[in-house]
Amino acid sequence: MGILGIKLFVVGLFLVLLATVPAVASWWQSWSADAWQGVNQAFNNTRFPGRPESWLWIVLVLVTLLLIGLMVAWVAQQGKGRTNLLVSDDDAGDVAGDVRIGGGVAEQALKHALAERPDLAGATVATYAVNGSPALKIRLLPRQGVAPHLLAAEVASLVEALNAVVGKPTPVLIHIGAGARTRFGRAERVR
Amino acid sequence: MSQPDKQRILYRETHSSRAVVATLVAVLVVVLCAYGLLESAVHAIGQPAWLIEPQRAAERIVALPSGISPLLLGALGAVLAMIGLFFLLNAVLPGRRARHVLNGQGADWSSPAVVVDDEVIASALARRARLAANVTPEQVMVVVSRRQIVVNVRPTSGVPVDEAAVLEAVQFELGEMALVPVPEVRVNLSSAGVIGA
Repeated sequence: MGILGIKLFVVGLFLVLLATVPAVASWWQSWSADAWQGVNQAFNNTRFPGRPESWLWIVLVLVTLLLIGLMVAWVAQQGKGRTNLLVSDDDAGDVAGDVRIGGGVAEQALKHALAERPDLAGATVATYAVNGSPALKIRLLPRQGVAPHLLAAEVASLVEALNAVVGKPTPVLIHIGAGARTRFGRAERVR
Repeated sequence: MSQPDKQRILYRETHSSRAVVATLVAVLVVVLCAYGLLESAVHAIGQPAWLIEPQRAAERIVALPSGISPLLLGALGAVLAMIGLFFLLNAVLPGRRARHVLNGQGADWSSPAVVVDDEVIASALARRARLAANVTPEQVMVVVSRRQIVVNVRPTSGVPVDEAAVLEAVQFELGEMALVPVPEVRVNLSSAGVIGA
């Protein structure tokens, strides 16, 4: 995006200069006439034998198609990252097979533990796959006046309990945020 | 499969993602490329051009300042420069969001990474300041920015407010939070009081 920005900025600035300063205009006319000659030569030199078109057009078309394909592929992979798997381990025990714990376990357990708290106006838990390994993102919406460090400490102890149950420590990100629900809800009174 | 880097996750949470603007740029590039392809294809099969033929467009660009009114050219150039500047700055400037990181955590994942919105910090500190100054919530306003916290208190008329007590209470709470980067605190007592709170 920065490269396109630089190009657009330079082109725009150049057009402004062209319109205002006549010296720039005469320089551009002489330079671009030569450049256009050069481009025409290139097109002439790369002709198909016996045909008026040149294969440079085909190369241009292919490059443009490639560029379009890359852009579309990049746009299509935005917004991914959610996953359903929390822990996957093959336990080398007596019974053959591996154990998979779905992300829903952590999400439901944490949401249930956070549901009855009077100092939260909302809580969301989601599992993401970062670098191939699963991680939890907990989004808390505390009411007005709640001290964030105390809330974070309590949720951290909840996460430790979850890690003890699941068996593998999962990286957790806690985001204590504010939204319309926190601004227009009742304030937390006693703490 | 290794654990993600904690610093990188915190960076992604405290800075704005450029996904929206970058998607816009990608769509713009696709539209321009598709238009160029359309014109070339139309030219190749010999049909009349849709908007303008590539040959004539190139010739007009070559003869540039003469074929178009200078005002229009200047305006077009200015608009392009603005758009280019917007994209450039979007790509280069850091784009920090109004958030702080709660410290006291190690560099590994044994403790969770915590990111707090400035609004939550402000309301917690406002509550502390209100209790220390003994006023109602409407008389305290806290503004939290990246490196500075300003506490504005409007005292009840006739009842003095102990500025040092407010400052100490807010700084104590801030110390407990252990924010990164550490902001400085300033307390402003307004000279105009609130009547009869």
